[in-house]
Amino acid sequence: MKTKYYNRLLKFILFLFTLIILSPTFIGFLGVLFPAFGYFPALGGNYFSLNFFNDLFLIPGIKKSLLLSLFIGFFSTLLALFFSQLILLYIFNTKIFYYLKIIISPLVALPHITMAVGLLFLLSPSGFIVRALSPWLTGYDRPPDFYLIPDEFGLSLILGLVLKEIPFFLLTSIAALEQFPAKKLFNVGKSLQHSNFSTWCLIIFPNLYNKIRLVIFIVMAFTSSVIDMALVLSPSTPSTLSIRILQFYQSTETNSIFIASNLALVQVIIIIILMLTWKLIEMIIKHNYFFLFSIKFLPRKKYFLEKYFFSLGLFLIFLSILGIINSFFWGIGNNWYFPNVYPETYTLDHIISFFNENKVIILNSLSIALIVSILSIFIIIIWIESCDYLSINKPYLEFLIFIPLFIPQISLLIGLQTFLIKVGFQNYFFSLIFIEILYVIPYCLILLGPALRGINKDFLSIGASLGKTRIQRLFLIKIPLIVSTLLTSFAIGIIISLSLYTPVYFIGAGRITTLTVETLNLATSGLRQDLGVATIFQIIIPIFILLIVAYLNKKFTKWVF
Amino acid sequence: MKNIKSKRNSYKLFFNFFFLIFIYCNPIFALENESQSIENNIKINDNWKIILNKASGKTIFFHAWGGGKNINSYIKWASKEVMQRYNIKVNHVKISDTSNVVARILSEKTAGKHKNGAVDLIWINGENFSFMQKHKLLFKDNWIMNLPETNNMDFISNPSLLNDFGIPTNGMEMPWGVSQLNFYYDSKYLKYPPKSAIELKKYIINNKGRFTFPQPPDFVGTSFLKQVLIELIEDKSVLKSTYVKDRHEDLLTPLWTWLNDVTPFLWRKGINYPTNYMSLTQLVADREIDIGMAFNIAHASNAISEGRLPKTIRGYIHKKGTLANVHFLSIPYNSSKKAASQVFINFLISPEAQIKKQNKDIWGDPSVLSMNKMLPEWKNKFKNLSKGIATLSNEELQLKLEEPHPSWVKVIESKWIEKFGSSK
Repeated sequence: MKTKYYNRLLKFILFLFTLIILSPTFIGFLGVLFPAFGYFPALGGNYFSLNFFNDLFLIPGIKKSLLLSLFIGFFSTLLALFFSQLILLYIFNTKIFYYLKIIISPLVALPHITMAVGLLFLLSPSGFIVRALSPWLTGYDRPPDFYLIPDEFGLSLILGLVLKEIPFFLLTSIAALEQFPAKKLFNVGKSLQHSNFSTWCLIIFPNLYNKIRLVIFIVMAFTSSVIDMALVLSPSTPSTLSIRILQFYQSTETNSIFIASNLALVQVIIIIILMLTWKLIEMIIKHNYFFLFSIKFLPRKKYFLEKYFFSLGLFLIFLSILGIINSFFWGIGNNWYFPNVYPETYTLDHIISFFNENKVIILNSLSIALIVSILSIFIIIIWIESCDYLSINKPYLEFLIFIPLFIPQISLLIGLQTFLIKVGFQNYFFSLIFIEILYVIPYCLILLGPALRGINKDFLSIGASLGKTRIQRLFLIKIPLIVSTLLTSFAIGIIISLSLYTPVYFIGAGRITTLTVETLNLATSGLRQDLGVATIFQIIIPIFILLIVAYLNKKFTKWVF
Repeated sequence: MKNIKSKRNSYKLFFNFFFLIFIYCNPIFALENESQSIENNIKINDNWKIILNKASGKTIFFHAWGGGKNINSYIKWASKEVMQRYNIKVNHVKISDTSNVVARILSEKTAGKHKNGAVDLIWINGENFSFMQKHKLLFKDNWIMNLPETNNMDFISNPSLLNDFGIPTNGMEMPWGVSQLNFYYDSKYLKYPPKSAIELKKYIINNKGRFTFPQPPDFVGTSFLKQVLIELIEDKSVLKSTYVKDRHEDLLTPLWTWLNDVTPFLWRKGINYPTNYMSLTQLVADREIDIGMAFNIAHASNAISEGRLPKTIRGYIHKKGTLANVHFLSIPYNSSKKAASQVFINFLISPEAQIKKQNKDIWGDPSVLSMNKMLPEWKNKFKNLSKGIATLSNEELQLKLEEPHPSWVKVIESKWIEKFGSSK
């Protein structure tokens, strides 16, 4: 009887807890929904109307912005998925596969903005590639008047996103491959005289796809509404929808907040359209006829175009590494004029002065990331443990946690910001941490959830039979068993928090700045030296964290099963 | 057993260490100490004494454009000084566009937040000021006259200190510095830069892809459009009155035809524009474009001394003169730390801070003080300041054009966005 009440109370607390964690999502959504329909009494919108939807297409250049967002969201996801699978199928059976995780982890850890800056340094008319070829090959003694980046159709933004998402897809795919007997299936395919490519398409990928589908949708939602990368790589007359929303949000016109909210809602619709399109294509591909067709016509033995595509994929990864190296040179170079391939003089002044000026910002970024990551992991462990205790096993509950990743960041945050101003809540630090947790938890959960649930139950029953309580079992058995995953997800939490741009921009409201926001400020003001230095810091910090975690991992892992 | 204990202790030590570092270094937890230091070497009237007392121990949020490295470090220096002298902590909130801040203050007002506003001090001029004045978002009239250092300014012979884009400031904003639109080019490659809107048009068409301006509504970009308009318009006096659509729409036609002719020949065919004047510097350094522009007259010289522009860069202005204006500091009506903001402003307009600001190696922004009103020792120091290699002399900068009425700015901006910033 007593335990029943106790359980009920616990259930209630859990419910409340979930509600609090998810409240920003709902508030943010309502905060954008009402103004989108013209309702915001503080700014004179006293009744609901569809005016802003009707006037949508009167905004100059909005059609192109919408098309850009659709185009970029769809193709960057598709291409990144394609290339990641291509790289995987080629090295799946080789030794490199085991090292792949180590090679790509730093690339996953890089903030998006770093990748964008690297590309900018590389591909602009005054960038590294043109410099390397001038004037001996091209005859240019000054940068040519053509432009690759940013281009009119958003292709460079797609390139940047693809480069950034390939490692992410690789990492999630590797994790997914461990969940089914991929190696066996692969060998079966090969023994049936299929090439790597057709084995992958027909046998491995369908299995893999189900496991990474969620990730694909997250990536799609992110890429079609990305802000930080778009500010650097997208065309400016006009820009993508997310940038237009930002511009309206920043405008002094009184009704611009309505327009911004309205467009933010349109951004949500765009993501829904994208997902439906994806679903439609999925349905077509899943159809029997399509399957039979591809079995008949997919050349079994021929290597198709895969070799070319594979080299293209490797070239892309090479490109991103080259861009990053180039940023290093900008950070330590002085007097570097066209067409010199290397700077005339080298100096550490930029790094030292940048560090001195931005100590506070770096410290802020790190301390926020630490707090956010620790809290997120605490919340996840408590959540999973109490769900386990109450034997709640409902997958849709977990889905709730992923919701913030499906709603475009800008839509959610505009709504939240409006709400915070309305309420007059002043503690920027607290709000920022609260919001960041929302974005960090899902990524930590992807890693930590399966590990915590997948612990061999026998160990726990032995523990229980030895009279250990639930809490003792958690600390003495469960956590030591998953310590490596725990540390990894802790690192991921820090890295995600460090790379967040939009939440810091909106919720920090300039009072709290992080390195990523500062890098973007520098990127738009074109000070290459400082930008290079900021990039150096943004590369070094995540890698440093990964190294610390790798070291701790070695030190703390007692048992491996 | 012993081993474990020592291990535990070392963990404890480790965490304590990081916790302490975290607490001490984190600005969020910064402890504000109570010591009060009052400068006694100048006579302070009672009012000012009260303000100084109120200001001590406060933290203010100074919202100022944060895109200039030299400007940021100047503000940092000034913040350090007022921390030492008056125990005021200044947080520089680095913004990219002042209109965002104005929008924020307005939304605070509409949400009924009349106290404890997010902004304590704002760097402002032109249409942002007139917007704030119109919506009554500023601290009271003539507060600037209460600050002791205002004595060093000559409002009678220099009326531009009390007029912002032709609008009387009513003493609601403090002059901070003077700026004038100026251009620069590399004298190694270009012998005769184009010195008027008409010459510039010819130059752009003959040198495809070698000229651009920051994308409006960037401050410098819009100012460039205004500059072209003033040079092309027949009757300049119209620009001083408020823009009326029915009466004045046609007057803008010369500007739009000029831009229509020029845009296809701009850098990247006018499909992309640089974000602000700092990115122009990089483009000139790379020789992607031939001519750069800035409002700070020492900008090119600064960039040369920082190793970002070659030493052959020189400055020039147009034959008919260029736009000149004063930039100001102002306090929002809903700031709760007005006293601290005033003390900081008072420091920023002191000869000591102004001479540092005018120094070409630091910022190079001309002072707003009057030579005749300063103490002789300061006068000499100001006279002995040297100017940078690409900076124009006062004589060369004599031809100054007045800013049009702020109402024109919004029209030019939104029309440009409609015609050139969103089609293609």
